[in-house]
Amino acid sequence: MSAKEHIQSLLKEAEIYRSQGLFDQSKEKYIEILEYIEKNKVALKDNKIIDAIKEKIREVDEKLTEIEESTDTPELAQEVQSLISNLFSFSKNKDTAAIEGAVAMAKFGQYEKALEEFEMLINEGALPLMAAMNMLRCHLSLATPEAAITQFKRWVSRDELGQGDLRYLRNFISDQLEKRGIKTELPQVGEIISGEKKTEEVDEGVLDLSSIGIELESGPRQGDMVEFDVTFQSGNTVSVIIPSKQKDMADLFKPGSQLSKVQCCSALAVFNSCGQVAGISKIESGPNRGNYSLDITITEE
Amino acid sequence: MAVFNVRERVIECKLVFYGPGRCGKTTNLEYIYKAGKKYTTSDMVSIDTKGDRTLFFDFLPIGLGKIKGCEVTVQLYTVPGQQKYSSTRKMVLKNVDGVVFVADSLEVRRKANVISLKDLQQNLAEQNMNIFKIPLIFQYNKRDLGAEGLPILPIEVMEKDLNGKLKVPYCEASALKGDGVGATLKKCLALTLSHLQKELQWSR
Repeated sequence: MSAKEHIQSLLKEAEIYRSQGLFDQSKEKYIEILEYIEKNKVALKDNKIIDAIKEKIREVDEKLTEIEESTDTPELAQEVQSLISNLFSFSKNKDTAAIEGAVAMAKFGQYEKALEEFEMLINEGALPLMAAMNMLRCHLSLATPEAAITQFKRWVSRDELGQGDLRYLRNFISDQLEKRGIKTELPQVGEIISGEKKTEEVDEGVLDLSSIGIELESGPRQGDMVEFDVTFQSGNTVSVIIPSKQKDMADLFKPGSQLSKVQCCSALAVFNSCGQVAGISKIESGPNRGNYSLDITITEE
Repeated sequence: MAVFNVRERVIECKLVFYGPGRCGKTTNLEYIYKAGKKYTTSDMVSIDTKGDRTLFFDFLPIGLGKIKGCEVTVQLYTVPGQQKYSSTRKMVLKNVDGVVFVADSLEVRRKANVISLKDLQQNLAEQNMNIFKIPLIFQYNKRDLGAEGLPILPIEVMEKDLNGKLKVPYCEASALKGDGVGATLKKCLALTLSHLQKELQWSR
């Protein structure tokens, strides 16, 4: 292959990569051409070809910068937002599904719309703690911690949420602000009222969990850590799904039995804890029909 | 997990096209949308950036009609291939029933294929799913580029790289031309529906 043919072949390759959107690879090929010309002292009539290749590298660099700097989360049309909300809410329970839909919108960067949805859920009294926590997360993701603080103060002043919920939220936002190096005075929430459920005291320490790992203490997989997505959480009790085909595993979890090693994963941290099987039941209807719903109460180590 | 409405005898399942950036996932869906108009139940939804890169996901619902006494609808999704959109991929994979892994045949994308497959395995594991057990098909895309003189990976190399342990079916394809797209979808649907039939104990 002559030098000219080799250059043409590299050029063709670079052009195709570019047309495929493989800009890094395209740039590498253009550079390879320049290096080949220099290394082999290829005789050229003039510098036009070198200039043209340098121009192509510049154009590819522009494309790469454009991709790098493109907005990751543009505001989507309302119908697309609704579609996201519908497609990513899986629960048959209306309130849980509404939370899932709003969380999906937040995860896709549609924070303003998600905030509206969470606010509506709080007003309707639908899983208010989950909704409120996610509202605060939205404000923090939007890098507007002051909005999160204002929101929290409003809840405290208007007594829109229960005392237990407010205490939990205060701990949550306080941790988040501390991590961001923000010092602020948050309003105190009333002291624990005597007669309040004791579990609420425990609730304060349990974060919003996304998944848990449980070390199996018996059965053929004894010692294995199995991971489960948390499908629902109320205070320190989480629900996870065990597929019907893993009936043998489901049978290992007897109500009341202790779990000595539970790895808890939240957006904030991963930590080891203990647990107790609060209940297990076969799901009789809905998309998870036939699977098992396992409830675990997370206890302190 | 698929939605099975026993009373109305309707099954809705979800297939996800996974793979590295620029491997042709969206092109697959676009071809299915154009070629299979009579099966599509609504427009294809696609959200991309300036550079035609999928930002969130593509979505295309199709209806397969009655199978074994049940009306079957399938939701087809693609994930964004770029590494930075990891959380979106996790989100889209939720409740998946079957996966088409679109691998790029270009030699320069060999490493990207392997990284993306590992990412799939990890993201499935995070929702307690096993890549060895989920209905999965490989599509070795862009085979046509070999004829244009571009260095592409031999099938044996791709099989060894990606499918050595999984041993799942594969299809060769050129999604831009539509070659192999239908065959890939058919194989994945057959595998997924047969899997669901066992899972949901669905019969006439």
